[in-house]
Amino acid sequence: MTARLDVRPKRNHRDLVSMLEKQAKVLYPPAIALLIFLVIWQVLTSLPGATLPTPIQTVEETWELIINPFFDNGGNDKGLFWQVFNSLQRVALGYTLAAIVGIGLGILIGTSTFMFRALDPIFQVLRTVPPLAWLPISLAAFQQANPSAIFVIFITAIWPIIINTAEGVRQIPQDYNNVARVLRLSRTEYFFKILMPATVPYIFTGLKIGIGLSWLAIVAAEMLIGGVGIGFFIWDAWNSSRISDIIIAIIYVGLVGLLLDWLISQIAKLVVPEEQKQG
Amino acid sequence: MSVFVEVDHVDRIFPMPNGNSYVALRNIELKIRKGEFITLIGHSGCGKSTLLNIVAGLDQPTHGGVILEGRQVKEPGPDRMVVFQNYSLLPWLSVRENISLAVNRVMNKLPQGERRSIVEHHIDMVGLRHAADKRPGQLSGGMKQRVAIARALAIRPKLLLLDEPFGALDALTRGGLQEQLMKICEESHVTCIMVTHDVDEALLLSNRIVMLTNGPEAHIGQIVDVPFPRPRSRMEVVNHPNYYSLRGEIVYFLNQQKRAKQLRAQHATAIARNGLEKVNLELGFIPLTDCAPLVVAKEKGFFQKHGLEEVTLSREPSWKAIAEGVATKRLDAAAMVAGMPLSLTLGMNGKPPTPVITALTLSRNGNAITLSKKLFDQGVRTLADFKAAIAQTPDKVPTLAMVHPSSMHNLMLRYWLAAGGIDPDRDVNLTVIPPPQMVSNLKAGNIDGYCAGEPWNSRAVHEGLGFVIATDLDIWQGHCEKVLGVREDWANQYPQTHLALVKALLEACEYCDDRRNRHEVLDLLCQPEYVGSEAIYTRPGFIDPYDRGDGTAPQMDLHYNQFYVNKTNCPDHVEGLWIMTQMARWGITPFPRNWIEVLDRVRRIDVFGEAARDLGLLDIGRDRHPIYLFDGTIFNPDDPIHYLNDLPIKREVRIEEVSLDTLVGVG
Repeated sequence: MTARLDVRPKRNHRDLVSMLEKQAKVLYPPAIALLIFLVIWQVLTSLPGATLPTPIQTVEETWELIINPFFDNGGNDKGLFWQVFNSLQRVALGYTLAAIVGIGLGILIGTSTFMFRALDPIFQVLRTVPPLAWLPISLAAFQQANPSAIFVIFITAIWPIIINTAEGVRQIPQDYNNVARVLRLSRTEYFFKILMPATVPYIFTGLKIGIGLSWLAIVAAEMLIGGVGIGFFIWDAWNSSRISDIIIAIIYVGLVGLLLDWLISQIAKLVVPEEQKQG
Repeated sequence: MSVFVEVDHVDRIFPMPNGNSYVALRNIELKIRKGEFITLIGHSGCGKSTLLNIVAGLDQPTHGGVILEGRQVKEPGPDRMVVFQNYSLLPWLSVRENISLAVNRVMNKLPQGERRSIVEHHIDMVGLRHAADKRPGQLSGGMKQRVAIARALAIRPKLLLLDEPFGALDALTRGGLQEQLMKICEESHVTCIMVTHDVDEALLLSNRIVMLTNGPEAHIGQIVDVPFPRPRSRMEVVNHPNYYSLRGEIVYFLNQQKRAKQLRAQHATAIARNGLEKVNLELGFIPLTDCAPLVVAKEKGFFQKHGLEEVTLSREPSWKAIAEGVATKRLDAAAMVAGMPLSLTLGMNGKPPTPVITALTLSRNGNAITLSKKLFDQGVRTLADFKAAIAQTPDKVPTLAMVHPSSMHNLMLRYWLAAGGIDPDRDVNLTVIPPPQMVSNLKAGNIDGYCAGEPWNSRAVHEGLGFVIATDLDIWQGHCEKVLGVREDWANQYPQTHLALVKALLEACEYCDDRRNRHEVLDLLCQPEYVGSEAIYTRPGFIDPYDRGDGTAPQMDLHYNQFYVNKTNCPDHVEGLWIMTQMARWGITPFPRNWIEVLDRVRRIDVFGEAARDLGLLDIGRDRHPIYLFDGTIFNPDDPIHYLNDLPIKREVRIEEVSLDTLVGVG
C-alpha cells in the first residue's frame, strides 16, 4: 500500500503537468493574439494626432468604473453592473416573449400547410426589417421608452425562432409521423412525445440566434431612448467625450453577449434529448 | 377459411412534377386468410412498400381499396401495426417507454397494471430485459428491430405489416430474428404481410409468396404456395424436397424480371446476316434426354452451318417457363411438349391465346410412367392392380405428377388411367412438377408416381425409389413428343431464319438417330450446362436396354428415343388432332369446330416440307391413317367429335369455333 501511495502522487503530479501543458497549448494562441492586438492599439494611438486613447490611458481613465461596477449615485450615474443589469432586464422580458410567441407560431406554421402558406410571406418580409426601424413605430404605439425597447427586442429575436421552429417541425422524420398515425396518438401525446422532442434542437438553434440578435438590438435601441442601460451609457459617454468609458463599455457588451450565448447553449445541453443533438 | 384481408383491384398512380403520372401498381388483387403469412417479393422499385403502405392505410390507392374484415381501410390504425424498415423507434424514449407509448395509447381501456405487465412481457419475449431502460441510440440494429417487433406485437394487431424488417442486419442476427418472428407469429396466430428481397427468408416464413413484376405498372406476376409444415425450423425447411424447386421458381421469376428490365433498356435487336433476318437466337430447353437435337445442333455446328451463328441455348426450369418465355418474346423458339403450340394458340385454361406454330417434330416416344416403390411392394404390377390398390384405400387419393397440362405426359397418363377405369381427376390427384424435380418429390413421398421423360424415370429406378409400370411404347408407339415451337408472328417476321432453324435441327435429329453417334450425343447431354445428370441414368433406352425396375429383364428397344427414323419429324395433323381431342376431353382447351384450319395454322407441314426438300431428305409425313392405341380404341381423324362423344370418362367438352383471324393481331 505504501509503495502505491508513493507512486500515485508522482503520477498525479505528472498528470497535472501534462494537463497544464495541454491547457497551455489552447491558451497561448489567444493570449498572444490579444497581446499583439494591444501592442498595435498602443502603437497606433501613440502616434501624433491620434484621436483615441491608448490601452494604458483607457485603463487609467476608467479605473473607477472597472474596480467599482456597483456604485449607484442616482439617476443615470450608476456602475456598469447596473447599466448591464438594466439592459439585461429588458432583453430578458423581450426575449422571453419572443421565445414563447415564436415557438408557438413556428409550430403553427410548421404543422399546418395552410398557415404556412398564409403567414410565411409576411414573415419573410418582416424579418428583413432592421431592428431600429421598428423603434419609431413602437414609440408611436407605446408612447413610452421602456416598452418600446422591449418590443424592439421582441421583434428582433422572434424571426429566427419562428423560422427554425417551423423548419424543425417540418423536418420531423416521416417515420415518426407514421408511428403516430398508426398508433393514432392524440394531439397532446403527439405534441409531447414526438413533436417537441424532435423539434427541440431546431428551437434551440433559433433561440441562440435570437439571443445574439436581441443583445445587438438592445444596445442600439437604448442609445435612442435613454435611461439606465449599457446602450445609453455608451451614448452618454460619447456626448461627454469619455472615449475610454466607451471602450470599456464595449468590452462589457461583448463579454455579456458571449455569456448569454453560453447560457443558452448550457440550457440546450440540459433540455435537448441525448439522441437529438446535432453534430 | 374466409377472407381476412382483401386487396381489391388496387391501382396506385403518382402524379409527376412534369404533369405526367407514374403508375406504380396496377390492378393488384389479393385475398389473405386469417393467420396467413404473406411475403411480397420483387425487385427494387416494384411497389412492394407502396402496397404495404396502402394496406397500412398510410397511403391511399388511386383506384380500388383494401378491405380488412369487411371494412374498408381508410386511415392507419393500430389494428394494422407496421414494423418499419428503419425501426422508427423514438430516439428520446427508452426501450420500455417506446413500447409503453404504443400499449398505453392502444390499450387505454385496460388498467395500468395490466398494461405494464404487457409491456414487460413483450420486453422479455424479445429478450431485451437487460436493455429495457436504454435508448435506441445505445442499441445495435438487431436489438432495435426486436424492440420494433415487440412494440408491434404488444398492441395485438390483427395484421402485422413488416417492411423489409431484417434488411439492414447481418446474416447471423437476421437468422436469429427470423426464427424468433416465426415463433412469435405461430404462437400469437397473427396474420402477417412482409416485404423482402430475400428468397430464403420468404421461403422460411411464408405461407404464400406473392411475386410482383417490375414497375411501372407492377402487378402480381405469380403466387407461390409454400407447403412446408409448421412449426418450421430452418434446417427442416432447407432439406425439404420442394425447397430447391420453389426457390428455383422464385429466383427464376426474379431473374426473368431482371432480364425484362434489361431488355427494356436495350431492346434485343435482330442481327441480320448470311441472308437470314436474325442469326442471334435464344432457344429454350428443359434438361431431358430428348433435348438432344438442340444440343447436337449447337455443339456439332448444325446451327452454324445454316447461318445461325449466335444461338444461345437457355436451360429453363419448367415447361411453364418455356411457354411464357416464347409468349413474352424472351425466347425466339423452344423445344416444346407436343401439345403446347396448340394449347397456346387455343388459349389454355382461359388464358389469352398466343398463336404458336410448329414446323418440326423433334422426337417421338421417350416417356414412361413411374410408380413408387411402395405401390410396387403392395403388389401393383399392372394398370388393373393400380386400380385395385386405389380402391383398397378410399381415404387416400394417390398423387401423380406430370410436367405440363398440354404435354403428352399429361394426355397419355390420363388416357392410360381412363382406359383402366381410373378417373384422372377424381380417383387420383394430378399435379404439375417440372421433370428434374420428379425424383426428389417421389423420394419425399409428396407424389406416388409420375409420367415424365428420361432420364428421370431411369433415375428413380436406379435409386430404387420406383418402377416403370408403362412406357409410351406400351400405350402409343411412335407418338410425337417434343416439337419446335415459335410464335406465329415471329415466323412471319423471320421466315428465312425459321427455315434455317428447322433445317439445322432436322439435320441434328438425323445425327442423333444414328446409333453410331449415340455415345457422343450422350457425352454432350451429360454436360452440366445441358442435362447434367450421370450418364448411367441417361443410358437406359438411349443406348442400353431399358430397365423397368420391376424385376423383369431389361429390354432393348431401338425406338425408345426416336429422333429421325420412321418419318419422325413431320408435324403431322392427325396426331395434332388427337392432342386437341384429349385436351378438350379434360377441359384444358375447347375443341375447335374449325380444327382443320387450326391444324393448318399451327402444324406447318409446308415449312417442314421446304426444309426437308432443301436438305434432300424425305419431305412427307406419316400416312394419314387412324391411330390405334393400346386399349383397342381407334381414333378416326375424320370424325373427332364422334370420337369425343364416345369417350366414357371425360370432363365437359366445349366445342366451339375458334376464330384465328382475331388472333393474328395478338402477337
